[in-house]
Amino acid sequence: MNSEILIRLVAALGIIGLGLFAYWCVNQRLLLRAQNNVLSLFSKLPNKPVIVYFTTPDCVPCKTVQRPALRQLSGLMGDKLEVVEIDAAKRPDLAKQWGVMSVPTTFLLDARGAARYVNNGVARVEKLMEQLQTL
Amino acid sequence: MTSQTLQKVDHSALKTNQIIIISLNILAFILNLPVLAAFVALVMGIGSVLKVPGFGIVYKNLLKPRGWMKPDVLNDNPEPHRFAQFLGFLFMTGGSAALYVGASTLGWGLVWLVVALAALNAFGGFCVGCAVYYWLARFNLRGFEKQPPAGTFPGMKPKASANV
Repeated sequence: MNSEILIRLVAALGIIGLGLFAYWCVNQRLLLRAQNNVLSLFSKLPNKPVIVYFTTPDCVPCKTVQRPALRQLSGLMGDKLEVVEIDAAKRPDLAKQWGVMSVPTTFLLDARGAARYVNNGVARVEKLMEQLQTL
Repeated sequence: MTSQTLQKVDHSALKTNQIIIISLNILAFILNLPVLAAFVALVMGIGSVLKVPGFGIVYKNLLKPRGWMKPDVLNDNPEPHRFAQFLGFLFMTGGSAALYVGASTLGWGLVWLVVALAALNAFGGFCVGCAVYYWLARFNLRGFEKQPPAGTFPGMKPKASANV
C-alpha cells in the first residue's frame, strides 16, 4: 500500500516536473524575445539593471501590489536601478513584441541589457530583490 | 471587434477554483482515490448548473473575507469560463467513470488532462475551454454568442484596459 502511494507520488512529481520544464521553456522563449527587442526601448543602454514593467490602467493587482513593490524597490536601490513602465494598452505593439500575455509582467535586464528573468503575474519585492542580486 | 456588454468577473474566484481542482486531483491520483476525483467532478457539475466556479465557495467564504486572496475583478465574459468548467466536468466525469470500470490509464489520463488545463489557466492565464468557446462562436452556434474582450487573444486573461 505504502509503496504504491510512493510510486504514485513519484509519478505525480515527475508529471509536475515535466509541466514546470514546459513552463521554463516558455519563459526562456519570452526572454529570447525580450532580448531581441531591448533596442526597441532604449537607444542607449543605461548600464545598470533595468526592470521593464508592463501594466494597464485598470489592472488591479498592478495598482495594489506590483507598482508599490517597484516603488519600494526603486527607493531601496536608488540610482542603481531603472524601472521602465509600459502601458500595454497604449503600446500594444511593444507588448506584442515582448510576448506579454497578461499584466503585470516584469522583465529584468542586467547592466549589459541581457534579459535574465521574466515574471508573469505579480512579483513581490523579495522575489525581485532576489533576482536583482543575481544579476 | 464587435461591441458587446462585458461583465465584472472576479478572476481570483476562478483561480481558487482551479487551484483546488488541481490539488484534489493530484491527491486523488497519489492516494489512488477515484472517489475524490468523482467528488471534484460532482462539484464542477454543481458549479456548472449554478453558473458559479464549483469551489468558488472557498474563495467567497474563506479566502476573500480574511484577505488571504484579493479580488481581481476584470471586465470579461463569464460564459466562456462556465463553458470551460463544464468541459472540465465532462472530462472529470469521463475520467471517474473510467476509473470505476477499471480503465485506470484512461481515467487518470483524463484527470491529469484536467490538471494540466487548470494549471495552464491558473498559472499561465490561458483558458483552453474559453478558447474553444470563442472558436465555436465563430461558427455562430446557438449559445456561443460572445466575442473575446477587445484586444484580447481568445482564451487569454483580459488585460484590464482592453475593456475601457
